[in-house]
Amino acid sequence: MRFIRFFLKRLVHSLFVIWGVVTVVFFLRFLTPGDPTTALVSPDAGQDVRDALREELRLDEPIYIQYFEYLTDLMVGDFGNSMDVLDRPVTEWIFSAYLIRSVELALAATFVAVVIAIPLGVISARRRHQPADYSATLFSLFGISTPNFWLGIMLIIIVAVPVGFIPTGNPGPLFYQALGDAVTQGNFGGLWDWLRHIFLPAITLGTYFTALITRLTRSGMLEEIGKPYVKACHAKGLPETLTLYKHVLRNTLIPIITILGLQLGTLIGGAIVTEVVFEWNGLGQLLIDRISSRDWTMIQGIIIVIGVSFVVINTIVDILYAYLDPQVIDQ
Amino acid sequence: MEPLLRVEDLTTRFFTEEGQVNAVEKVSFDVAGGDVFGIVGESGSGKSVTALSLVDLVDSPGRVTDGSVWFRQPEMAERIAEDQPEAVDGEMVDLQQLNSRERRALRGSEFALIFQDPMSSFNPSITVGEQVAEAVEVQKRAKANPRALRSRTQGFGLGKFLTTSMVPTVDYVSDEAHARAVELLDTVGIPDPAARATEYPHQFSGGMLQRAMIAQALATETSVLIADEPTTALDVTIQAQVLQTLAEIQDEHDMTTVLITHNLGVIARMCDQVGVMYAGEFVERGTLEDLFERPTHPYTEGLLGSSPSLDAASQRLQPIEGNVPSLFDEEMDNRCYFADRCPKAMHECLTKPETYDASGSESHSARCYLATQEYDSADALPEGYFDD
Amino acid sequence: MISDRVKASLKREFKTSRMAQLGLILVLLVIIVATFAPFFALHDPTEQRIGTGDGVDDDDAGVIGDNGVEEDDDDDIDPGDIDDADEADEAESTDRTDVPPLSPIPGHQFVGETEEIQRVDHEDGTFDIEIVETEVNADRAFPLGTNTVGQDIYSRIVYGARISMLVGILGAGLAALVGVPYGLAAGYFGGRLDDGLMRGADVMLAFPSLVLAIALVGVFRDSGFHTTQLPDPFVLAAQSDTVPNVLIPRADHVAAMPESITFPVTVTLVVALVNWVWFARIARGEAISIRTEEYVKAARSLGASHTRILRQHVLPNAITPIIVLATIQVAFIILLEAALSFLGFSGTNLTWGADVESGRGDLATSWWISTMPGIAIVIAVIGVNLIGDWLRDALDPGIEGESGGM
Repeated sequence: MRFIRFFLKRLVHSLFVIWGVVTVVFFLRFLTPGDPTTALVSPDAGQDVRDALREELRLDEPIYIQYFEYLTDLMVGDFGNSMDVLDRPVTEWIFSAYLIRSVELALAATFVAVVIAIPLGVISARRRHQPADYSATLFSLFGISTPNFWLGIMLIIIVAVPVGFIPTGNPGPLFYQALGDAVTQGNFGGLWDWLRHIFLPAITLGTYFTALITRLTRSGMLEEIGKPYVKACHAKGLPETLTLYKHVLRNTLIPIITILGLQLGTLIGGAIVTEVVFEWNGLGQLLIDRISSRDWTMIQGIIIVIGVSFVVINTIVDILYAYLDPQVIDQ
Repeated sequence: MEPLLRVEDLTTRFFTEEGQVNAVEKVSFDVAGGDVFGIVGESGSGKSVTALSLVDLVDSPGRVTDGSVWFRQPEMAERIAEDQPEAVDGEMVDLQQLNSRERRALRGSEFALIFQDPMSSFNPSITVGEQVAEAVEVQKRAKANPRALRSRTQGFGLGKFLTTSMVPTVDYVSDEAHARAVELLDTVGIPDPAARATEYPHQFSGGMLQRAMIAQALATETSVLIADEPTTALDVTIQAQVLQTLAEIQDEHDMTTVLITHNLGVIARMCDQVGVMYAGEFVERGTLEDLFERPTHPYTEGLLGSSPSLDAASQRLQPIEGNVPSLFDEEMDNRCYFADRCPKAMHECLTKPETYDASGSESHSARCYLATQEYDSADALPEGYFDD
Repeated sequence: MISDRVKASLKREFKTSRMAQLGLILVLLVIIVATFAPFFALHDPTEQRIGTGDGVDDDDAGVIGDNGVEEDDDDDIDPGDIDDADEADEAESTDRTDVPPLSPIPGHQFVGETEEIQRVDHEDGTFDIEIVETEVNADRAFPLGTNTVGQDIYSRIVYGARISMLVGILGAGLAALVGVPYGLAAGYFGGRLDDGLMRGADVMLAFPSLVLAIALVGVFRDSGFHTTQLPDPFVLAAQSDTVPNVLIPRADHVAAMPESITFPVTVTLVVALVNWVWFARIARGEAISIRTEEYVKAARSLGASHTRILRQHVLPNAITPIIVLATIQVAFIILLEAALSFLGFSGTNLTWGADVESGRGDLATSWWISTMPGIAIVIAVIGVNLIGDWLRDALDPGIEGESGGM
């Protein structure tokens, strides 16, 4: 019951934030000076062409009507049409291989980060002031201080160019297709192809997160280990690994999960740059393209999708937090 | 009768950046099976460190540097005698000479601890029942195969942990352990134990949580219970109830107990033998009667004077003037550490007294010249002697 | 505002921590180099050269146009670059096609002659482009090599430090100026106001900084990137006759440096606009905990006004975590600015990010073009982060990881 109330409260809050995101994105366009059609038609097009376009884009109606219409359209999943020459619905652009590629890249990077960072942080905390700790600390310092576009470029120079078989441009097959090939036809070529394509982008994007989680895990573990309940665990003879992973790490990760939720923006922002470096056809690459061509419906659509995923993931994180830390619900 | 626990010259030091701290200095005492030995002193006198030193739980930069903790365990003595004959004396084993794994394996199986602050001594994100059950499980696994105690209890590795977190049915803690935990919670007087076992520490009151900690200690069916200020953090009314529970359980299970407290009322109620601690040393040791009827050391007298006793609750508190001395090695003079606060300080007290037999029972001793001579006011140090 | 206890704690931590000392050295290095750029630079960073070294053909050697910066307004672009680019374009039509640009590997390989483009103005307003041959020893002249249009990478890094540090410090300062009062008000007054303000902050948080920054730059770009020319006092002094040249070391050298640098105003505003919310969060948390303190209640009961309490009691007590956050934010904004200029959303080309991007076409052959400016970014950011670690360890404000998000 308490949990349901907490859940509903969180849900209402998230819906509010999503509404806020949509509103901000909608009005962002009206900050743009000048006639938005200028960028869309050729300079020598006549006034009638422009008027027709204004009519089609409903630009002549009062702002609040436009806003209301945009909101109602969004509710049924209509983001409008792309304003560029390719007059396709925005949703068709976004919910395609672009989105899948971005999600694949983000998940691969997160996987790299979690698999490396948590054990590294634990080892670093357990061997405090030993060589392993210093190496991990140094690594994480570089990790959070290196711009990932440059890291990507360095990886291309140091790894991809000498090795040869790791591609640096255009993404490989989609994971689910490659996996499908492997499962149905026993053809693992696609999976290998996918792996060698995503290898460097995932490391590029994952490094900042790896470094961040390592730092947080280390300092969190050190703080937790000093608490009396750990001594109580030792006193009752609980095996060291159980004490460390079931008790200490659990309490360490609880606050880290919230921080990571908030840091999700870093992952998405990093993804844009990484996609540009590796010419990875994801949402980030699409956004950069569309900004150059001033395709406002597309830009709005992409930013809304990014903002909404951020809100949704953070809602999930908060609920997970409540599940892991029972004190949250009662507050 | 041979004691169950015999502590000899136990010494613990902290090696901090600011200098060496002599937290526990050559502490010796015996505890017979089923007895309650009380350690009393002001905060900062080293009594908690003594408790932790017994079970090797002193945190870095602290270390037990000297002394031995003899513990009677015939089976273990037999086993250890093969490799380390010097660590065995008849049925007694010197825990200080064992390797750290052996010592660790004794915690939870032979030694249990109750800590001062129950709120911080339970993991806030795991249910109370689960945490008590863990203690049951440790004991169960140890009993199931005492010879391979170590490998069974320590052999819960990361891999196994990952499997258990993904497959909830395979857990470190078995269902029987959970059931036993609920029984134990019932034993210590927690109402509706089955429901409360599924609650988290923050949903418990301090007193209830301390009862749960006693249950956790009981779970281990231990030989020795070490209770470090078990009632200090609780409300006064709750203190009496929890103390009552502790006394009942101690009586029922005939548990050998080392009780650490700053409260002489608790000592009077629970203990058979008492050691009074000051500046890391025992200044006086003896039976309860020895100390309460015939206190020899002025510090003990002072404590008795300043203690609101259970019998005479109306008696006014008489604080001992001055502060607990610094335990920094370089700041400790070679004199009686209490001399600067002592109302009966004499010129002799500027050299360090030995531990002398005192009147009363054979176990009564005091580290004070007054055990061997009468107080002579002519020899007293002038007032304000230490005020420089 | 900063107590003696805090100072003592900072000093103690600084003495024991090698990392803190290293951080301070790195940051001071970057700041000194940025401030006295004309003295450290070996060449005019915008000056282009084409030569006969071990260069590589590059189709889009022009500085403009290959990184998304539109040329619709001349104000957008570093004037030095514009002049040079115009010349380069003209030069391209004549002899650029056959002469590979000079881009020697750092420190060696290029010894010999180079051809430099020079503009000769005639009195009637026309001008000619002449190619002048000069002797160059790459060992000395281009310690880190040149890029594909023959600009000295080392000198560009020296000048790039100015933009990075200015945008980083001003951006973080502006963000604090907006975020701190916002958060303090929310936390101190609480209730409805807090709810409303923090909902707004939550909406802001839902946008990843870089995404929002790109969108905002996209918005402002159509009215032109606002950049402003910051005159370089050293160069002006060296050029002027009123200041005796003996006061300025190597006056002739300094006088040949650019008279001003292009400061990206839009980008600075945008990075502040996307990061203020982190300051608001921290300030709010502090205000909430300070609000309930006895001395605040006492001040209130004595009739002190809210503004007075906020200024006298709340702000001084909240200042420690804000300082720590500001430091971390400087590092973060340097990275954000680098990412924006890498993507071409900056308005000036003389930045580390743009320089990394400029070498992207030639990674296999001219690795140093992208590598060198990146190392400069890493050095600067590590320095600031180390100082942040030092402050955090010494002051322990409990804001681990709450730094922001790209």
